[in-house]
Amino acid sequence: MRRYSIQILHTCIVLLTVYHVHAQQHSIVIQFHPKVGAQQLQLFTEAYSNSNGEPFTVNRFRFYVSHIVLIDEHRQEQTFSNDYFLVDAADTASQKIMLPTSFKKIHAIRFTVGVDSLRNVSGVQTGALDPMNGMFWTWNTGYVFAKLEGQSDSSHMAAHTFSYHVGGYKPGENATRVVVLKTNTDNDSIDITVDELKWFGGKHLISIQQYPVCHQPGSLAMQLADNIAGSFSIENHP
Amino acid sequence: MKIISTIIALIVLVGFAIAWTTATFHPTPLRFVVPKGWPQPLYDFKNNPLTVEGFTLGKTLFYDGRLSKDGNFSCASCHQQFAAFATYEHNLSHGYNNSLTERNAPALQNLAWQKEFMWDGGINHLDVQPIAPITNEHEMAETLENVVNKLKNDTSYQRLFRSAFGDATINTQRIMKALSQFMLMMVSSNSKYDKVMRGEASFILPEQLGYNIFKMKCASCHKEPFFTDFSYRDIGMPMDEVLKDEGRKKITRLKSDSLKFRVPSLRNVAVTDPYGHDGRFFSLMNVFEHYRKNMQPDENTDSLLQHKLPLSNFEIGQLTAFLRTLTDTSFLTNTGFAPPGYSLVPPQTHLH
Ligand code: HEC
Ligand code: HEC
Repeated sequence: MRRYSIQILHTCIVLLTVYHVHAQQHSIVIQFHPKVGAQQLQLFTEAYSNSNGEPFTVNRFRFYVSHIVLIDEHRQEQTFSNDYFLVDAADTASQKIMLPTSFKKIHAIRFTVGVDSLRNVSGVQTGALDPMNGMFWTWNTGYVFAKLEGQSDSSHMAAHTFSYHVGGYKPGENATRVVVLKTNTDNDSIDITVDELKWFGGKHLISIQQYPVCHQPGSLAMQLADNIAGSFSIENHP
Repeated sequence: MKIISTIIALIVLVGFAIAWTTATFHPTPLRFVVPKGWPQPLYDFKNNPLTVEGFTLGKTLFYDGRLSKDGNFSCASCHQQFAAFATYEHNLSHGYNNSLTERNAPALQNLAWQKEFMWDGGINHLDVQPIAPITNEHEMAETLENVVNKLKNDTSYQRLFRSAFGDATINTQRIMKALSQFMLMMVSSNSKYDKVMRGEASFILPEQLGYNIFKMKCASCHKEPFFTDFSYRDIGMPMDEVLKDEGRKKITRLKSDSLKFRVPSLRNVAVTDPYGHDGRFFSLMNVFEHYRKNMQPDENTDSLLQHKLPLSNFEIGQLTAFLRTLTDTSFLTNTGFAPPGYSLVPPQTHLH
């Protein structure tokens, strides 16, 4: 009988602890804001100009975010290593990521743009990583980490399209990039700007006329990846 | 006291619930036999345990034209059992809308030991391979979304998925894993050659002489027991003007990989004609003529072939006799791989 009571007591303690931790948990919202310079991105309709003075419109803009790490003011880290998110400019719901945390104040956020090599080599995935989402190279296995497609008079491709599919997980062509951003908010949301102009004019200058297409891993994909990493910033609240 | 009894009741209930859900899903495990003397397979069966139900679902999918846009092109339309799951007598295979594939369909066999797939090794896992033919416009020209929707609307598939995976969820992952289960079972290890190796049969003289020549002149690339070392090599086949296929270079982008293709297995080679990555060799004789005479060595051509590969007519005769011993009739006629509801694949059903 005594053994049972101890077991029951143990169960109660476990339940209570779970409840306690749960009570302290709240959700933090990470909200991505696709922009072109200072303006909010408008798909299809709006014409923009990049740092090379090339005009362009955007038809599709998507990227993977994974391995999100929240860091609190005591430098404690909370890692979400099994969560993959596909952020799509055409789908506002996808731009909002909700994560449970017990951190009161978040000092910084770190995340990977792209998909780690393990998920690129271990067969067919599901959820955000379902190849059905169109972010997957079938002929040369691997995820497309980020996609920007549109039209530009500077492109010599048919219908003046330009199309950047950035990916690559193998050594020497790795296009995943880690982004670290210091947050400056006390509230329950982290607002992150993603500036498309940086794709063309970040660390590397990429001209649509010279490079209208990137459809495979390699040096162009890695340069675009560097630029993409620099396109994220914490939204300035007025 | 009341709280304690409530907790006990809850625990008991949860226990029953767990027991009940696990009790309703009991697929029949399917044993994967590693042939004697072969290495362990590379495929990770832990992530996709073979079951009779999964295999049956995979087979149904493999033979179902609805995986293609117009319903005409199942996997089996290009991968025919009597040709060791290559395309019978076609240099290139027919796909959607009167198109042709860009390469010769290889035999599907012993895939569990293969690390990379396709002639250029571009695909790194068997579970993602079928996505390529399904979505390729020269093959099945369909989207994964449409495939999933077509299957969802078919109650017999709901049943098959439930018995294979425990519930009726139909998604890309489950379709691919089921196809893998079917293809993984395609083990060819029962040819006359295998029987001789196991001491159950013996070669007649030309076969034995052919085997000796093979070990000397061919086995460094076509390595036993798979009859390939799975490496990528250039055997001096000049690039086809139309197809412009650079082979392995397409994947690595290295100039030194230009015109390299995976060494194909020679198991069941007598039934997988035509030969070569683009099916340019009509017969085995054409292949031999290539090795001894027609090849055009370029800067990437394998060092073993820098001076071509001299073969006398006599040697060709013996080699041919040996290569015939690699035909595994029990694999080609195993009714377990035949379309659901058929006992054998009649060659006449083949699409032209
Ligand atoms: C239109 C003809 C066609 C159809 C339909 C087709 N295949 Fe293939 N298959 C090919 C060709 C051609 C290749 C070689 C492609 C290459 O190397 O680039 C191939 C290669 C493969 C391989 C790689 C074998 C190896 O040794 O690397 C597998 C596995 C395979 N197919 C399975 C399938 C499955 C499963 C389906 C159905 C979902 C399918 N195929 C549908 C023509 C076809
Ligand atoms: C240097 C490596 C090497 C050697 C040595 C070699 N092969 Fe090959 N073999 C290959 C490669 C690579 C291919 C595929 C070439 C292609 O299609 O691009 C091939 C293709 C073939 C094919 C066509 C198979 C098919 O399914 O398409 C046959 C048959 C063949 N070899 C037989 C032989 C024989 C017999 C010998 C010995 C006389 C031999 N090979 C020696 C590398 C080699």
